[in-house]
Order: sequence, then structure tokens, then C-alpha cells
Amino acid sequence: MLEQLFYQGMIGLSLAMFLWLVAAGLTLIFGVLGVLNFAHGSLYMLGAYLSYSAVRILGLDFWVGLAVGPLLVALAGGLMERFFIRRVYHIDEAYQLLLTFAFILIFADLVKWVWGPIYQSAPVPGALGGAIPIFGRPFPVYNLFVIALGPLVGLGLWFLLEKSWWGRTIRAAAADREMAAAIGVDVPRLFTAVFMFGSWLGGVGGALGIPIRTVSPGMAEDYIIQAFAVAVIGGLGNLKGAFFGSILIGLVNAYGHVYAPVFELAFMYILMAAILLVRPQGLFGTS
Amino acid sequence: MSGSRKFSRRTFIGAMAAAGGALAAAGLARPGRASAARPSGKPVKIGHMAVLSGVLGGYGQFMQMGATLAAEEINAAGGILGRPLEFQFRDTQVKPDVGVKNARYFVDEWKADFVAGIDSSGVALAVGKVMPQLNKILMITHGATEKVNEQLVYKEGIKQIFRISVPVYQDGIASAMIAKDFPVKRWATISPKYEYGYTSWEMFKKTLKQFRPDAEFVEESWAPFGTQDFGPHISKVMAANPEGIFTTEWAGEAVSLVKQAKLFGVFGKIKEWVNPMGGAMDVLEGLGKDYPEGLWVSSRYWFLYPPTSINAGFVQRFHKRWNRYPHYSSETSYSAYWALKQASERAGSTETDKVIKALEDMTMISPGGRRWFRKEDHQAVYEVPWGRTKADPKYPFRILGDMKTVPAEMYYRHPPFTS
Repeated sequence: MLEQLFYQGMIGLSLAMFLWLVAAGLTLIFGVLGVLNFAHGSLYMLGAYLSYSAVRILGLDFWVGLAVGPLLVALAGGLMERFFIRRVYHIDEAYQLLLTFAFILIFADLVKWVWGPIYQSAPVPGALGGAIPIFGRPFPVYNLFVIALGPLVGLGLWFLLEKSWWGRTIRAAAADREMAAAIGVDVPRLFTAVFMFGSWLGGVGGALGIPIRTVSPGMAEDYIIQAFAVAVIGGLGNLKGAFFGSILIGLVNAYGHVYAPVFELAFMYILMAAILLVRPQGLFGTS
Repeated sequence: MSGSRKFSRRTFIGAMAAAGGALAAAGLARPGRASAARPSGKPVKIGHMAVLSGVLGGYGQFMQMGATLAAEEINAAGGILGRPLEFQFRDTQVKPDVGVKNARYFVDEWKADFVAGIDSSGVALAVGKVMPQLNKILMITHGATEKVNEQLVYKEGIKQIFRISVPVYQDGIASAMIAKDFPVKRWATISPKYEYGYTSWEMFKKTLKQFRPDAEFVEESWAPFGTQDFGPHISKVMAANPEGIFTTEWAGEAVSLVKQAKLFGVFGKIKEWVNPMGGAMDVLEGLGKDYPEGLWVSSRYWFLYPPTSINAGFVQRFHKRWNRYPHYSSETSYSAYWALKQASERAGSTETDKVIKALEDMTMISPGGRRWFRKEDHQAVYEVPWGRTKADPKYPFRILGDMKTVPAEMYYRHPPFTS
């Protein structure tokens, strides 16, 4: 009984770390640029498709695919910011929503056009195949790998933002664009870079999924909702919040499924509503 | 060759079902011979709706491929009643109200003669209910709920609805008839958390119990539409130590489920895995060589069955046209257009009442085999094989080995549908 509880918890954690990678990019972009990028799920999808293509079509190694796919996604994100998103920073948020929503549709059709309607997937990289016993039952090595990777990415982000010169500049620009610009920070270029970095994180989330998930047009919409729930629960724009929000959602999904399957779909929304009522700024947000 | 025109001419004279079927077959086998008269006059229009967006968007494209090929071949063979065939696709977005809107648009504004398509059972039921009002024939090519033929057509008498694709009996009843011979007592399921999943599992349990009173059903796990991570479901079901897993996951979700079940070591622990949708071309291609061998799967049409020249010809032309093997939705859409041609020519008209009469009890020879439209419930009766996934050097995906077919007479429920 207790073993089942722990085992299911491990499954929840692996769901959480997948989610965290996607939510991290979304949160970073919102936190710094103030743009709620609805198309972030599409960047996740693009990461999956590009890495898939590297592995299955070009015959490259999974790790090469993981390196190349998200870089191309970052490039796509850079173009998106430079030529489109940048133009709506100063106008009503509704335009940001409309613009990023338009990108969802564009990416969805682009993907269908380039890769066709077929579902795709790639094999698990050799070293991470198979399962090892955890709490008496086989648990996929690949999921363990993702569980380990999540906190590492979190640490890396923390270091980058809190400890590096680049991070200080970003925080300064996020806090006050005019002031940062006045002291010589190239804010537009910095924002493009942050957008690219956030897109890269989304792309990594997608690329990591290809050995175990199905790469398909439409995979974006489904995932972005969960990533948004994470961002709301953790506090919009707050990375620490997104990390713990992901863990919360992952565990709720895993346990909810076993112990109260009837309400499984509702749990995430109930949790979100409850947190919004008690702490409208989210778990780690500041009001 | 001047015979080709005669074939399509004769087709509508063929009043006897068997003869009609054989002649249509000849027509199917020789499409596009240039000697056929160019169709002229007012076009015969088919309004086709399918999922064209979202996770299932591929299914709409599979239908488009089959429909396009059929229309090209039919027009090259002289059209329908000498008139050109025209079709238009619209997205249902898997929403019943959008489906109804599409149907109204097709009939009222675009002046369609027939409506075809539909993937989801919910959409099929909603659209089916407005067909008497629109008074056009709806030829369903995918949505599988038994409520369409048992409830709407048979009990409520909505004569405008027909279905060319296999009903949920294939998923729930035929699967149990395959599973009854397995040395498996303890069964569990991971299936879609909506009616299709529930109905299939109920039919499976009920049928299996009749043959195997010793069968036990130890756990069930229902995955919401759009599930990408099956870990929680696999963990829940495997905790009950099943010997067999029955699943009606399909499309991308079937791909994810199999991949993840493999990682969780499921196939090493259980004896049999049964998935009525696991043989669909999108699942076979999606998994490629990652698909474990020896799993029992079926579909609604499988491209190498039946081993007839008509089917082989269809697969070859389809492959030439689209550079891929036909999905079942491609075949059902393709055959739907040919069925409407055959029935219209048999009726000598595209008028709804006359074509309904012609379709009732009609037999056609299609790529998927001999299909007979049962008069009472307007369901096309045909068989789809089961088999174990098997590697084949000729294909980059698994094909079906150890093929088994349950005769349609045995697994289709029969009017008056009381049991």
C-alpha cells in the first residue's frame, strides 16, 4: 500500500518535471517581457517535431536531436519576437493574446503541412531504455532521467538569473525598461534573447518527450493548458513558483487518477481556483 | 478498351445484389480508363465532414485522401449517372453542434446531394438526428457507436442514415471472441474515458463471460481524451497483476500507451495485449519498429485484407497517389463514394427516397471486401481481421500475422437488438 503510494509519487514527479520544462519557458518570458505567450505550447510541439526529424529522418543520435531541435526552436522564437511580438509590448494585452493565438494556428498548420498527419515517435536512447525496480516494481530509466534533469535545469536557471551578470541585467530590464535602457542596456536585443531562451526551454520539453510520447499536430493545445495552470498556481512570472506548481500538478494528476478517478480532470482546476481564492498572486508570487 | 463504359452503365441495371457487386468490382478494378464518357451536367455533390484540426486532425486528412482518389476515379469512369462528382470537406472539430451546422450548410446552402464522413460518435448522433429534417442521406465513414444503427435507424426509424464502417461490435464483441481462446483469466483495461471506451469494455466483458465463465476483470483505468502520459494508468492497472490487457486507445494515444507500457515492462509481465484499434495504419506507422511483436490487434480495415485483386489494386493506386498505405478512414471514405455511385445508378436518380431503397440490402465489392447494407439498421456488414503484430522486411511497420477472422454474422448484433 505504502509502496504503491511512493511508486505513484515517482510517476507524478516524472509528469511534473516534463511540465516544469515547458512551464519554465512560459514563466520566464512572462516574468521578463510581460507577454503571455499562448503559442508557447506550439514551440514545445516544434521542439518535438524538429528533434524527431533529426533522429528519424536524418538518422542522427537522440542526443544530437536534443541539442539541435531546441536550438532551431530558439531561432524560430527569436524571429517571432523580433518581427511580431515586439510590436505589441506597448499596446493592450488583448493584442498580445490575439497575436500569440494566431501563432498557435499558424504553427499547427505548418506542422501538418511539413510533416503530414501521421503520428510520429522516436526510440528511447539506448542507455536510457528499460526499467529498474523501484518499490518492487519496474520503473522506466528514462523517466528517472527526466526526474533528475528537471531540478538541474531549475538550478541552472537560478544560477543564470541570480548569479550571473546577464541575469542581473535581465532582472533590471524586467523591473524598469526605461531605466535599464538609460544606463546603456540594449533592451530590445535583451528581450529577443530572453524570448529565445524561453522558447529553447519549451523546445527542450518537446524534444525530451519524443521517445515516450506521440509527436502529432495538436499536441500543443493540450499541453499549454497545464503549463498555464502551473504558472497561475505558482505565481505568474515566478520560476520557483512554476517549479513547485509543476510538482503539485504532477502529483495531483498521478494520485488523483488512482484514488479519485472520477474527478481526475477537475482536480487541476479545483486546485487552481482554490489557490486563486486564497492567494490570488499564486503560491510564490508577490502582490 | 470499350468495355469500361459498359461496365459502369451495366452497374445500375444490376438489380441483383451479387451481380451488382461483381460489376461494381469490375468498375473498381479498372478505374480511369479514358474511354469512359466525360461526365457532364449538374454535379452530384457530397458534403464530407471530418476532424481536420487538433490532435485527431490526421483522421480528416486520411478521409480526404480516400475521398479524393474515389472522386478522381469515379469522374474518370463517367461520374455518377453521367454527372460529375464534386465533394467538399468541412471540419467538425469533434463538436456535435459544429457537425449539425456543417450538415445544414451542406444541404441548405451548398445544395449537397449526400452527406458523408464523421469521426466521433457524439457528432454522428447529433447529425443523424437532423437528417430527416434535411432529408438527405448521411453515409457515416468512421463514428462507431451502436446507437446510430440500433437506436436512430432501427428503433427511431431514421432511414436517411447509413454506415459503411464497422460498428463498435468489432471493438467490444469480436475482441472477446478472439480473447476467449487465450490462457488468460485476469483481465484489465486502459481505455478512453468516454462512451466508446466504456461501451467496448462492457461488450468485451459480457461476451467473454459467456464463453469463459472463469474470466475475472480486475482493474480498469480511464484515460481522458488527449492523454500524453499513461504512467499513472499503467501503474494503477499493473498493481492488480492482470494477465491480459484490453485497450481501446487509438490514434496518437495508442502510440503513446504502447511506448510507455513497453518502458514500464508491461509486455514482459502480461500474457496477452488486445487492442481493436492497434492495427490502424496511423498506429502501425506511428510506432514503426518500436511496436512489440505478438500483440493482438485489429482495425476497421487493414490494407492487406482481404487478399483480393480489388484490394491490391486499390492499395497500389492509393500508394501511387499519396505515397502511403491507406488508413481505414481512407478506405471507408473511398468505398462510401463508390457505394453512393452504385446506389444512385441502381436507383437511376439521386433522390433521397430512391437511393435509400437502392442502398437497403445492397451488396458492394469494395477494397475492404464484400459489404452488405443490412436493411433493418442500415449498417454495412463486413469483416475485419485480427492478428498478431509481426515484423515484415517489406514494410517499415508491423503487419498482422496469425490472422484470425470472426464471421460478421457471429459478432454483429442483430435486429431487434434486445440482448
